[in-house]
Amino acid sequence: MTSVLVFALAGVGLIVLGFYALLVQRHLLRKVLAFNVISSGIFLLLAGLARRAPGAEPDPVPQAMVLTGIVVAVAATALALAMIQALRAATGRTWLGDDGDEE
Amino acid sequence: MPMPLSGAEWAAALVFVPLLAALACFLVPRAANWLGLLAATLILFATLGLVRGLLGDGPLRVAVGAWAAPLGIDLVADGLSAVLLLMTALVGLGVSAFAPAYFAEHSEQRRWFWPLWLLLWTALNGLYLAADLFNLYVMLELLGLSAAALTALSGSATALNAAMRYLFVSLLGSAAYLLGVALLYHGYGTVDMVLLGERLEAGAVASAALLAMVAGLLLKTALWPFHFWLAPAHGSAPAPVSALLSALVIKASFYLLLRLWLALFSGLAGLLPTLLPELLGLLGAAAILWGSVQALRQRRLKLLIAYSTVAQVGYLFLAFPLTGVQAGEIAWRAVLYLALAHGLAKAAMFLSAGGLLRFAGHDRIADLDRAAQRLPLTLTAFVLGGVSIMGLPPSGGFIGKWLLLEAAFTQGRWGLALVVLVGGILAAGYVFKVIGYAFTATKIAQEGEAVPLAMQWSALLLAFGAILLGFAAPWFWPLLEVGAPFAAPLAEIGTEAIAEVGAVSEAAP
Amino acid sequence: MASLNLLPLAIDLVLALTLLWLAWRALSSPDLFRAVVLFIALGLVLGLVWVRLDAVDIALAEIALGAGVTGALLLAALAKLQSAEAETADASTEQEGDWQGCSQALAEPDAKSKPTLTASATMDATGSAMPIALRILLALLLLVPLAGLGWVVWQLWLPAPGLTDLVAARLEASGVAHPVTAVLLNFRGYDTLLELAVLLLALLGVWSLSSAPHLGDEEQEPALAALSRLLAPLMILVAAYLVWVGAHAPGGAFQAGSVLGAAGVLLRLSGWRVPPRATGWPLRLVLVLGVVVFACMGLVVMAFGQPLLGYPPGWAKPALLAIELAATLSIGAILAALFIGGRP
Repeated sequence: MTSVLVFALAGVGLIVLGFYALLVQRHLLRKVLAFNVISSGIFLLLAGLARRAPGAEPDPVPQAMVLTGIVVAVAATALALAMIQALRAATGRTWLGDDGDEE
Repeated sequence: MPMPLSGAEWAAALVFVPLLAALACFLVPRAANWLGLLAATLILFATLGLVRGLLGDGPLRVAVGAWAAPLGIDLVADGLSAVLLLMTALVGLGVSAFAPAYFAEHSEQRRWFWPLWLLLWTALNGLYLAADLFNLYVMLELLGLSAAALTALSGSATALNAAMRYLFVSLLGSAAYLLGVALLYHGYGTVDMVLLGERLEAGAVASAALLAMVAGLLLKTALWPFHFWLAPAHGSAPAPVSALLSALVIKASFYLLLRLWLALFSGLAGLLPTLLPELLGLLGAAAILWGSVQALRQRRLKLLIAYSTVAQVGYLFLAFPLTGVQAGEIAWRAVLYLALAHGLAKAAMFLSAGGLLRFAGHDRIADLDRAAQRLPLTLTAFVLGGVSIMGLPPSGGFIGKWLLLEAAFTQGRWGLALVVLVGGILAAGYVFKVIGYAFTATKIAQEGEAVPLAMQWSALLLAFGAILLGFAAPWFWPLLEVGAPFAAPLAEIGTEAIAEVGAVSEAAP
Repeated sequence: MASLNLLPLAIDLVLALTLLWLAWRALSSPDLFRAVVLFIALGLVLGLVWVRLDAVDIALAEIALGAGVTGALLLAALAKLQSAEAETADASTEQEGDWQGCSQALAEPDAKSKPTLTASATMDATGSAMPIALRILLALLLLVPLAGLGWVVWQLWLPAPGLTDLVAARLEASGVAHPVTAVLLNFRGYDTLLELAVLLLALLGVWSLSSAPHLGDEEQEPALAALSRLLAPLMILVAAYLVWVGAHAPGGAFQAGSVLGAAGVLLRLSGWRVPPRATGWPLRLVLVLGVVVFACMGLVVMAFGQPLLGYPPGWAKPALLAIELAATLSIGAILAALFIGGRP
């Protein structure tokens, strides 16, 4: 049962690590990576704690939620990557510019 | 007279009509204009059906599938959801009528606008009907991704930059919300809002979940100081999209915040639930002042309207510190009225900006060159929308601000009342700035392009709606009373009826 | 006895620390290619963690989607960004950064010192725009949520009532024998329907951004082509097996769909193209099929007095199978289309 706690705490670590990188990193691809790390951390927390009860089956409901979450994260990643490429094609940048600097 | 469909069926229609219409628009792009308008009409019809059902039978609570919560997912509708559904249907229909003419010159944009917008509509309707926290997460993601894709629709460098930032903000907001959902599920074994409301206790889990969810939703609602993404996104999107983003999308995350607060957290004892309303009120006041001053400083019309949204979001949060004590219900009503009036008025203003943009080819305020004389319908729409934003009688914005002032006065919160008044004066400043330039001639006369009547009238009708809202208050209060969303926690809505499949429950005595 | 209990815990500790270390390396690596590869490794280790947590469904999905599809999408995006970078470098004469220099810069972590870098590659290397003092301050501030969340998780350690028993009690009526599939397709089927819509929405968004070039238009390698033609039928078989097995064991539409998508990508890379006749509405129909079948099933039952998405007794099994098959097909097509990027 302790291992559940270990993984849940690792999930917390991933969330905070990803959040730090999301704020600090400038390259948009890295921000996408950071977002995915945050998501993984939350999934670990959500489905990891489903395994708390000793011996019994893990709770299938959070597991199904995480499956949904993974698919949503893939969808978001795909859209973000396409947007990065479009931004790169339009501005030559792979990071966020100041507002209105294209005017 | 018997209803043609039950409440459960109207609710299903509200989610599935836009969803299937989005797929149809994707499959048959040539028919998208007609399919979209048909869907918009059907949705308005379904919303009215649902509203009638709510007024007759009381709040709705229905299980999706044969499984009631906590195993399955429940849909709920009460006065609060009904008012927002109604706003979405009206603004949605207006924008859908505006869009075909606007996108006539950009067939490539039109092709993607319709399916993306109808999916956005699916998410909005689904969000207002959802009672399940995880289902709400999926709706939030559907909403955020479609809104970001719509922002990027024009493909300009500014729009792409703004859309990119918007996408990250939206994803981060949803992630924070999901974190809260995860904590609540493991703390209390359910994600159903009603059951959670019964089980929730003050403590570390509830506080952490509250903080994570509130932070995520504030980011999405763009409350100061989280407003940084709003103006570029709303300012650079195509005009109909700006109208949707400003009028509807930020209201959805605000609604969710309000719903969570009312159903789950407001009753909790402890330091955090006591301090949070004060903090939200403070940020709201800052948003009103800062957003209004920024709006005054803008030189481009769409950015001015976008900063006005930053300010108007602030009003929505002024109610939180006013609801702790008696007469709190007035403050909630005020806020709901303001949200509704802002939805109609802001959509009208962005659509008129789209008309002016088509007319002049730019939206520099200083070069509007007698637009008032040459484009009277569009300018009227802008002015009427502005009247409601300023809060002048007889508009819907006036009723909202009046109630808010009443709540502030009865509780002796003079500071909040002052902010409401100053915000109104500043709003008058930026609206009149536009009107002034629209009446004067520039040195070099500007050529104007013809603006299709559909674009002008859709904006004008929405603006009329914002004004007429001022007279609709007597009709509105009974609807808002349905299920007493502000008085009793959601838990008191006929829980016995949950198991009964497709049942319309009675209001709790 | 104690040592027997301690060994799994030690393994889990090592796994958890590996997770954190990989995440840190992936997010801080100055070289983007390396960062993506480390991220994929993170996904694979996460797959192991899910197995340790008795979540085989998630493990499959994590490896197929989290590591596989996301990794492939990231690598494809990186390749396109770099080739665009190379073009700009070729075009501008005063920047002497050439193709080699650029790709080297991105392939080697110590390329910072090399003079042949394009402006944006230099940005990659520095990574962050924030001054170091601000970063330290931020890191210190983030210790608060770290400690707070850790404390909450500690509080949550005591077992709380979940829905395990309720799911088990209703499993009989759900039409499938595997609890996770039952939750996904029946008890919380409404979520899954909308999640399919989110996936489709992502593709709509990608196509609306349009300018992305096609991938896989370059010459094919004969070896790859032969291998793909061999592998693709096998993968389609695996996908079919995964759908079928999902009814009573870990597996199901999403895992099967990602295998199918991978088969599509392989075929595409080996030179196979969707016939031009089929790139119009037939392709679009395949893409929306999953949502359409799911939504229509959910609505049609209402005509028979059932609630929305509530299947009549005895009909659940065939209904769910039809939904799963349609969803698998659509998911495969959408994932392949997302990877390829440009519109047909």
